[in-house]
Amino acid sequence: MMLMRLFTMGAINPDAVDSFAGIVVLVGISIVFLSLLVIYLFFRYGLTFILNFRLRHQARKKGLDPVEVETSQTSLSGEVNAAIAMALFMYQNELHDEESGVITIKRVSKTYSPWSSKLYNMQNRR
Amino acid sequence: MKNRRPWVMLGLLVILSLAWTAFVKPEKEREKALREAGIETVVDQAQYQPGDQETEGFASGLKQFWAFTGFRNAKTGNIIMMFIGLFFIFLAIKYEYEPLLLVPIGTGILIGNIPFFQDGGVNLQIGIYQTGSVLNYLYFGVLKGIYPPLIFLGIGAMTDFSSLISNPRLMLLGAAAQVGIFATFIGALFLGFAPPEAGAIGIIGGADGPTAIFISSRLANGVNLLSDGTTVKNLIGPIAIAAYSYMALVPVIQPPVMRLLTNKKERLIRMKPPRAVTKTEKIVFPIVGLILTLFIAPSALPLLGMLFFGNILKESGVTKRLAETARTSIIDIVTILIGLTVGASTQADVFLTKESIMIFGLGALSFIIATACGVLFAKFMNLFLSEGDKINPLIGNAGVSAVPDSARVSEVEGLKADPTNHLLMHAMTPNVSGVIGSAIAAGILLGFLG
Repeated sequence: MMLMRLFTMGAINPDAVDSFAGIVVLVGISIVFLSLLVIYLFFRYGLTFILNFRLRHQARKKGLDPVEVETSQTSLSGEVNAAIAMALFMYQNELHDEESGVITIKRVSKTYSPWSSKLYNMQNRR
Repeated sequence: MKNRRPWVMLGLLVILSLAWTAFVKPEKEREKALREAGIETVVDQAQYQPGDQETEGFASGLKQFWAFTGFRNAKTGNIIMMFIGLFFIFLAIKYEYEPLLLVPIGTGILIGNIPFFQDGGVNLQIGIYQTGSVLNYLYFGVLKGIYPPLIFLGIGAMTDFSSLISNPRLMLLGAAAQVGIFATFIGALFLGFAPPEAGAIGIIGGADGPTAIFISSRLANGVNLLSDGTTVKNLIGPIAIAAYSYMALVPVIQPPVMRLLTNKKERLIRMKPPRAVTKTEKIVFPIVGLILTLFIAPSALPLLGMLFFGNILKESGVTKRLAETARTSIIDIVTILIGLTVGASTQADVFLTKESIMIFGLGALSFIIATACGVLFAKFMNLFLSEGDKINPLIGNAGVSAVPDSARVSEVEGLKADPTNHLLMHAMTPNVSGVIGSAIAAGILLGFLG
């Protein structure tokens, strides 16, 4: 209620939403769409065509199917992607750029162990 | 932690509302009444004349010292703002909410609201709005829009556009989400803001802090003159705080809207994995993007020029040192400066106003509309796409920028519907295109209203 009251305290001015505001909105939205649409069209059709031109040309020379060559160069299956991601993950996890530098032997809470038993070692020295 | 976010935001709004109605408004009304009655604030010139200090002795010296302390000059608004600053620092340290931003902003609020002697307009060159002070020089970078393009340089140097290049049709979702900016612009006009102020408020819907600061510094900086001869309001602080607050609240605001606008079947849609992107394509993207977008909207040059420049540094492969500097040192330095100065610019008399509360309300509305538009546009695109080619509408929300939080929301919501359906890589396309889209929208607003 209080927030609503505070809102209504502002000088509400429906007349401010005039034709100029409409033009700003319409032109603005159109230009945002147009800009991103142009990039989309370029990368969807233009660049793919330019980059694959050489591939297709070479494929035709060698007598191969241009479409197949194009696909093999640009498409990776999900399994391949997963394998690459796994390899990168494992590689990065195994990197040891920095060591902790702590070399103190950690004291264990269990004081006795057959591994450190003098008596045990004396009896089984052979 | 997740459930606390709405309460935190609600708490902040309530504190602001209460503070304004309980303290600031009566104080302003009292000052106004005194002014109308012909009683000006008493300015004792003797208090700050060094010559008298020597003659009147110890008591006078103490009196003068007292006159200059923060205790004597403190106003209720300063104290409230300092609590808000402390609250931001608390949120950053305790709950790790955007700590890289909230710690500088929170500390900036503390610095900006330390009370000091400024009776009768005396300029001791301390405050951020006092000409010649160090803070004023640092604030120059905000006021003239220097810092945001530098942040965009860093963003460009750390962004991988491969997902966008591999599936460029999803870029349109980034465009659709920008409708929120323009809807908020209309809403702000309706609430009585002047057109340049409304444009600056609208950009909150772009969910991009640097863009919001850039536009508000140009359109609502407290310096420009409106067509009727009045000065435009200084809304940089409230707009920046609102933008960053809502960006932190993306995981709270977006999911209900996404669930409301999609059905179970739509949420289960599996999308094709993105294709591999060649190095050449990655290099060509920033160059072509730069030329195409800026030929269409040249007013977005400072932001998009730097964004694509940063990306060229990254993708060219021959400027690794420059790219590394842009994405680490430069962006860190500028973040410190922008956070501190934006925080310091929220002096109580500038920040604790009813306009700030309206800006917070409009900001929330803006995020909701932007999210809804992104999701609905994905559904609209599905009407024209074949069965195996459909888009999961849960990635539509990512069009609001807020990189990478909104893409993460898509992933989380997708996993809730189907624990094996990962949407993150698909959502990154509308996410980064949202950055480009909001910068273009900012340029357009600047072109019309600047």
